[in-house]
Amino acid sequence: MTVLLLDLQVAARSLAQHSKRSLFLGAAVAAVTAALVLLGGLFGGIRAAMLESGTMLSTGHVNVGGFFKPTSGSSAPLVTGWRKVLEDTKRIVPELQDYTVRTRRFARAISEASSMQLALAGIDVAREPRLEESLQLAAGSLDALTEPNTILIFEDQARRLEVGIGDVLTLAAPTDRGANNTADVRVVAIAKSVGILSAMTAFMPDAGVRKLYQLAPDTTGVIHLFLANERLAGPVAERLRKGLAAAGYRVMDPDPQPYWMKLFAKVNAEDWTGQKLDVTIWEDELAFLAWVLKALGGLGGALLLVLVGIVVIGILNTLAIAIRERTREIGTLRAIGMQRRKVLWLFLLEMTLLGLLGSTAGALAAASISGAVNAARIPVPEAALLFIMQDRWRILVTPGALLSSAAFITAVTALAALYPAFQASRLAPITAIHHVG
Amino acid sequence: MSRPLAALLLLALAAPAGAALDPVALATVISTIDDRQRSTGDWKALCYMESKEEGKTDTVKELIVYRRDADDKQMFLFTKPRSEAGKGYLRVDKNLWMYDPGTGRWERRTERERIGGTDTRRGDLDASRLAEEYDATWEADEKLGAFDVHRILLEVKPGVDVAFPTVRLWVDRSTLNVLKRQEMALSGRLMRTSYYPRWKKVYSESKESDVWYPQEMRFFDEIEQQNSTLILIREIDLRPLDANLFTKAWLESKSR
Repeated sequence: MTVLLLDLQVAARSLAQHSKRSLFLGAAVAAVTAALVLLGGLFGGIRAAMLESGTMLSTGHVNVGGFFKPTSGSSAPLVTGWRKVLEDTKRIVPELQDYTVRTRRFARAISEASSMQLALAGIDVAREPRLEESLQLAAGSLDALTEPNTILIFEDQARRLEVGIGDVLTLAAPTDRGANNTADVRVVAIAKSVGILSAMTAFMPDAGVRKLYQLAPDTTGVIHLFLANERLAGPVAERLRKGLAAAGYRVMDPDPQPYWMKLFAKVNAEDWTGQKLDVTIWEDELAFLAWVLKALGGLGGALLLVLVGIVVIGILNTLAIAIRERTREIGTLRAIGMQRRKVLWLFLLEMTLLGLLGSTAGALAAASISGAVNAARIPVPEAALLFIMQDRWRILVTPGALLSSAAFITAVTALAALYPAFQASRLAPITAIHHVG
Repeated sequence: MSRPLAALLLLALAAPAGAALDPVALATVISTIDDRQRSTGDWKALCYMESKEEGKTDTVKELIVYRRDADDKQMFLFTKPRSEAGKGYLRVDKNLWMYDPGTGRWERRTERERIGGTDTRRGDLDASRLAEEYDATWEADEKLGAFDVHRILLEVKPGVDVAFPTVRLWVDRSTLNVLKRQEMALSGRLMRTSYYPRWKKVYSESKESDVWYPQEMRFFDEIEQQNSTLILIREIDLRPLDANLFTKAWLESKSR
């Protein structure tokens, strides 16, 4: 222990002695660490926003949905006999924290000025605490959704349809038996947009959607399940699939696609009739947005690779210069009996210490920057809002992310120092002592 | 047409304006509308489809419609414009399939499919089945422009699935051609008004009588009132079609 402390002291003094070089290299290490933390934080912020918006708008952590096909050529996103399905789900998933039951269908919304396709979610506002917590209203009131023939739309939709609070929209859609139906609904709330997820979604009282589609009382669209930890969604979904199948339901094979992609591109073409349940997790329902995370991850990864490359080259270069400058010193140390392994260790320790100090400084700087960015509530440009899914930049930095980033960069620094340190340890004492330079 | 049916038809035609059509005469009018348009053999027609939608460029398409009413088979083959050529729909065994030569894939579609993205449904180009699907009520005899017409309300029969549960017809009293048609949603809201200003007939050897068809159909969307579709039917051919025509392979071969 004493030896280690002594070695650390030597390494620290050596760093202090070459302060300019140490500062330059340390700053580079700090910058790369900060970039790593901030990129990870940005990525985490978008993922969190996606989860938050997704679980508010269109998915639970786990979903029990399904399709009903009256004929092999037609299908509807329905769960028949949903009360029994819910009872069985509760039995299979005892750790279930909360659930919501929604009808979900598509309809054409027509105003005096324009029209657009809407994905309707039929809800019972009293059973939707997440909406109350997360939805930011631009106008109107969420409670008004308890009244019949009402609708909540988002700002983008209100702009496109040129409607405001109190205006009437006509919804037109075919029922499952193919008969066209319409409903006139009053806009009672307009919520702030949350990117691509809210581009088409609108909320109506469940009874309104049921009437428009002539749905039976024991039929619904989906049961959203909420868990204490969303990271357990995958294993829970797997257990639920097996459990529901064992309980006698026909369950679809896992397919990481949102229900509407399956409805339009897959289920219609399949040759079966009747009811099949489909268990998905939130990442499946938002799979069409996975490319946003992939693109950001790819860009961030490439940027980090370049930065890490620069730091590695910097370390190699700096250590090569340091070894050249300290050749006589190394020769003297070797001549008075220092082992090669000790020389290697000292150089490695010096660089590891530099890496640790630099990455710690970088991580702390990143934590401060992210705190400042979050506090400043910098608005996201409108064009980026569609995919970033948050109206303010949010960088989600966790203590774990700070520690792992600092540890990773320190390890990279130490590994980069391995070769030059090994070269230094291989110097013959006599050659080193006679070295002029 | 049987002799009693012809006699009832004459009675229906001769009914004075304002006098209610009794149920038997009304049923005769409805079955006559169906019967006059029914083709017992095959059917091939060249059609032009013009679609106007708000915020979109007007589109004109040319397609050939094939029908074999005996087997309830139907096929649409788009021939123009170039970007649409080779696309088509095939209806067999009550399933509607769409083919896109661009992807080489068949997709199953619902009966509600808007053909070629227009306001036209498959049923608009199919045989008339009013008597089979609806219960009729005489509403009034009145004038529609220069024509004396019966105004008839049709309500879907229990257990029958149709796109529009309520339909109102204006039927020319002298010819029994449908001149105007209003289609209502389940909620009772008027959704589409269609006009059939020109009717033509063609002699069918298999039927051994004339087959009537609307040479021009104009569909007006009553919900999105800026949208409308015009269909012109040209070059009707009632000769027997190739036995293998109503197959996926045949439609695919047209774009090779």
